[in-house]
Amino acid sequence: MSYYLLMCRSLTYAQRLARELEKYGIGSSVTRGPQNAGTGCSYGVKISERRLGDALRAAKNAGMDPLRVYLNDSSGLFREVSV
Amino acid sequence: MIYLDSAATSFRKPESVRRAMDGALARLSSPGRGGYPAAMRAADMCWLCRESAGGMFGCEPMSVVFTSNATHGLNIAINSVVPRGGRVVVSGYEHNAVTRPLAARSAIISVASAPLFDNAAILERFRRLLPGADACVCTHVSNVFGWILPIYEIAGMCADYGVPLVVDASQSAGTLPVDMRSLGARFAAMPGHKGLHGPQGTGLLLCSGEAEPLICGGTGSMSASPNMPDFLPDRLEAGTHNMPGIAGLKAGLDFVKRLTPERILRHEQRLRARLERELNAMPGLEVFGGGGAAQAGVLSVRSSALDSEVIAERLGRRGVAVRAGLHCAPLAHESEGTLRGGTVRFSFSPFNSEAEIMRTSQIMRDILIKS
Repeated sequence: MSYYLLMCRSLTYAQRLARELEKYGIGSSVTRGPQNAGTGCSYGVKISERRLGDALRAAKNAGMDPLRVYLNDSSGLFREVSV
Repeated sequence: MIYLDSAATSFRKPESVRRAMDGALARLSSPGRGGYPAAMRAADMCWLCRESAGGMFGCEPMSVVFTSNATHGLNIAINSVVPRGGRVVVSGYEHNAVTRPLAARSAIISVASAPLFDNAAILERFRRLLPGADACVCTHVSNVFGWILPIYEIAGMCADYGVPLVVDASQSAGTLPVDMRSLGARFAAMPGHKGLHGPQGTGLLLCSGEAEPLICGGTGSMSASPNMPDFLPDRLEAGTHNMPGIAGLKAGLDFVKRLTPERILRHEQRLRARLERELNAMPGLEVFGGGGAAQAGVLSVRSSALDSEVIAERLGRRGVAVRAGLHCAPLAHESEGTLRGGTVRFSFSPFNSEAEIMRTSQIMRDILIKS
């Protein structure tokens, strides 16, 4: 199943973002990010395809814009998307 | 054993702390080192502990840094705010965890000293010394005499004079309000193993500004960079976390929240006042009490007839655990004139009972009579 990954600068940031999304009723989980994100090991928040807009708005309200956003489609590859 | 050395370490831990540590060894690996369940469970535990501490101490979870003890946190804080050779104001009741890192930075130390429990006098001393200082480092509660210093008033003065404040909350975390937002402190350092009832080897540093890492290394973030991340908590948390410790500390925080710091303080002060009354009636014993509400659950005494170490050793032989000597705080003893010989210190926890206090005073009476 496809999902979006909102990349954060650290595991703790990803955890905080997940908490913020929870406040808006947006289900998410913290997970590792793709190695091609450019910074080495990284973490992001995984959300369903249909909640991307809500999640980005919630993140903005919390002052936590994600560093990058990736789409993981059924092929298993990450593709960066511009938002 | 009657354990009255909780100012050093709260030895009797809640059962939940033990269970949490056992569970951590069985179920948690290392946070930030993988995406598999054991690593993510460890990450969740870290977050829950940060969140719990942030809620208790008035700061964001991101600003809660895990350390190995209060000394570790104080070293980070002092190295971050005190320039080499800078002038630093401290109270006359600081621990070596403050004075030694300051000496290592060749700091010029201005000591705000005042008679025990005299809040007005110590505030006046701070008022005189703070202008032009590079930093202020102040304990919230004296580990030797239990004096609860007027830290919020001192913090207010620091804000007025633009002096960054580091609070040593070693003896207050878990019994007194330590609120970073109200204090406006740059850092507050605390152990996990005293009033928070976590295991030894744990501590917290609460940060509200830039911090310099004491050690550098892997953080599980920004791994492609040769430098430490510039954000908290990663900047100050190089290396593998103490997961059993963090799980135990989380359980300790929950224990304190359940009992509430107010009730714990009341209980400990009641025991301290009881012992104080008993010991005051014993001839040849100088009791450093009388602080009332300004004295936490810590009581020091000294005898004109027996060395402090001898009293502690005899108490120990009869099953009462106390600490004697300088308690790593020579400055506090200098302030009170007890540097020569030190004191015997009794300190309390929620696990102590009035019956234990009565038994201790009986044993003390026996020891003094036989001297």
